[in-house]
Amino acid sequence: MVKKKQSQQENATPIVVDEEEIAAPEEDQTFQNLSETLAKIRKNKGIIGYILRNTTSAMIDLKDSEKIIEYAIFSSQVLDSSQVISDMFDQGDVENVLIEGKKNKVLCMKIGNNKINIFMEKDADEVAIQKRISP
Amino acid sequence: MENEVYAFALESALDEIQNACPDVISYFAFKDKKVLSRDRNTKLETASQAVDAFDAMVERADFIGDLETITIKSTKGKVHIAAFEDFHLATVSSKEADEKYINTLTRVLIPIVIKLSEKIQPASPDKETITIEQPESEPEENDTYEAPEENLTTEETEEPNNEDQEDDNYEEETATPEIEEPERAEPEIEDEPMLPEPPVTQLIVENLGGLLVPSDTVRVDQEVITRWSELYGDNKIKEVEVEALNGKTTRSKFKKIKKSKDTGKGIIKIPEKIQLTLETHIGELVTIKPIIE
Repeated sequence: MVKKKQSQQENATPIVVDEEEIAAPEEDQTFQNLSETLAKIRKNKGIIGYILRNTTSAMIDLKDSEKIIEYAIFSSQVLDSSQVISDMFDQGDVENVLIEGKKNKVLCMKIGNNKINIFMEKDADEVAIQKRISP
Repeated sequence: MENEVYAFALESALDEIQNACPDVISYFAFKDKKVLSRDRNTKLETASQAVDAFDAMVERADFIGDLETITIKSTKGKVHIAAFEDFHLATVSSKEADEKYINTLTRVLIPIVIKLSEKIQPASPDKETITIEQPESEPEENDTYEAPEENLTTEETEEPNNEDQEDDNYEEETATPEIEEPERAEPEIEDEPMLPEPPVTQLIVENLGGLLVPSDTVRVDQEVITRWSELYGDNKIKEVEVEALNGKTTRSKFKKIKKSKDTGKGIIKIPEKIQLTLETHIGELVTIKPIIE
């Protein structure tokens, strides 16, 4: 069963696509809480956008909507590659990854089955953002 | 040659960082997908696979600009990958590690090491082929390494000279060989080999004491001495120039470090008298270079 929902957040165009029935209610609740927190963070200065996804849903809010696919592939790649590197050195499961470039930076986090990618400008405070999101 | 020098310099510096921060579990440095140096705990295969995973990330990271750092925090520890010019340095540390301290150390030390390594590099890739080969006979006349090109040009056509390495600008050196060439066409001393610039090695000071210890002799890692021997072949190296961070320098005799537990740690054992001359003391960094006779 496929159902689509339009988010009710202001000034954002997040899309939720549920491909299957939602399995765990608590997981859905975490997803919902995270999406609300991210919507607030999104309004902060220097935040370019975010991607939130779990096994069944995804929510994307980016300034540059043309680059959604590029950002989504990158987000997925970061967590996959980071896990590979972490495994190589026996460091366990990846909790979060911060990638800093000369222009922008990306904070990737895993909270349960939820994967979060927050794209921000170089001078944004990722530590404060991380504190707001962490359970 | 180029990468070997970098690898050696990086390895020494990183060993020291690891000594200073025991929470650094392992490290490796890479450039252009090639692992240049790594610690003993890191297998080449492991490092190579990590580099591949890193590249997969970087390939898709255009929109963030040139990548500066990646910090992966996992349940058991952290992996930090930082870019230093063309190089990347990966450090793996425990979860308790002081990230700021490690980053500060690496951000200060590694660029210095890279710059020092660049200084002792041949100015262009072509030069890699000329510096190592040593002639059978010992040089007789001249103390300097300003070598004639004639010996070399028979083998290496139109080879630029690396005697101008006093000039700090690497790019300028690479850009000027054609201009300098005609001036050096005159034959000068036929027998003298072209010697590479003495490599500068950064080491940490440790005390050297004891009743029978000569006060004019420092003790240097066997690896460093071996490297000098490889570079200069039959040329005699009897003394080294030791330079402290404050710029004070002194010449002294040298011997290899005796205790095997102290080898490979990037230390130099200096008698108190020389430490006083240099105004340095245990734990501080000094640089040494061989004095070629």
